[in-house]
Amino acid sequence: MAKLSSLFAIAGLLAGVYACAQDTMPWQSESDKPAPAVRYEYPEQVTVAAGKPAVVEMHFRVREGLHINSHTPLDKSLIRTELILVEPPGVKVAAVDFPQGASYSLKSLPNEKLSVYTGEVVLRAHVTATPGEHLVEASLRYQACDSDSCYPPKKAPVAVDIIAK
Amino acid sequence: MARKAFVVVVIVAALALIAWSGVTNYRAHQALVREQKAHELVLTPDGGVTAAAGPGASAGQAAEPPNPLEGKQAPNFTLEDTAGKKVSLADYKGKAVLVNFWATWCGPCKVEIPWFDKLHDQYAPQGFEILGVSVDDLDLDDKAKLANEKAEVVKFAKGMQINYPVLFNGLSLTSYGELDAFPTSFYVDRSGKIIDVVTGLISRDEVEANIRKALASGKA
Repeated sequence: MAKLSSLFAIAGLLAGVYACAQDTMPWQSESDKPAPAVRYEYPEQVTVAAGKPAVVEMHFRVREGLHINSHTPLDKSLIRTELILVEPPGVKVAAVDFPQGASYSLKSLPNEKLSVYTGEVVLRAHVTATPGEHLVEASLRYQACDSDSCYPPKKAPVAVDIIAK
Repeated sequence: MARKAFVVVVIVAALALIAWSGVTNYRAHQALVREQKAHELVLTPDGGVTAAAGPGASAGQAAEPPNPLEGKQAPNFTLEDTAGKKVSLADYKGKAVLVNFWATWCGPCKVEIPWFDKLHDQYAPQGFEILGVSVDDLDLDDKAKLANEKAEVVKFAKGMQINYPVLFNGLSLTSYGELDAFPTSFYVDRSGKIIDVVTGLISRDEVEANIRKALASGKA
């Protein structure tokens, strides 16, 4: 019986510790750092046929309420979205296809058309890899705005493990 | 004795589980509220932005805490203007000054600059000045790039017919805190005190009210 009590005690303690560790209590302040405007979602790993051209689709997510300029903004002064990528040994990236931007205009600037991305953004990288495992690291450079403010250019890190068989 | 201990342990475990589920529920509710708030502002194709919360309320963001510089003396700075002249905030001692941080890539900044032009004309005779501080990136180590980058700012300023001093390299002003959203405007009264800091686009009437407040405040 004493052993059973001890087990329950430990279980209770663990449940309490788990609750504290997993959640921010209502009276605790959450981190002040805002979520990034854009984050890389997936894939973290892809398998491709070695030595043959393949397409890797990279999925990004623009935070709700924000937009970023497309790869081909309509105004030259705007900062376009681009992928900065260094090819690791064994991987060739022939091209990266960007989606077409959606046409938007802000209520406060109705005559100024923008070409933007919102929500999910999918980039298609044309790659050829030699047999083996290759880590491709890149970053998506973007400049985000909402209806009232714009934010300085930032980079969203990307890492994709390419397994070529 | 063992039975008592067992009951105590069961109660502790039950309380812990209740607390855990309460916290989980609370967080789920908070997430839902945040998501609903985020939906109050919706981008619509070509028709513009419908902002239920109105100008000044950014998507999904709660009210910002006051800027720590509010109520304090505005840090002095010296930057180069588009004519190559060094301009200091201290040059405008005794005047109300709007220090406006903007960028060529900032759409909302383009909305308020024409207002600033008109308000500058209107209130300059009363001792009001605007300093438009560009936060566009400048490559200070590459002369050719630097010249091009400055030329872009000048071209923009000319295109917008800005009638007040435009200064380069605003991002070098670390004394104004981490500027991470634009436009950001510091309203400085005649005594050099910052009376208001506004991040994001507000209405023209609110801008004018802040200018009047700066002009009325800090008189000798």
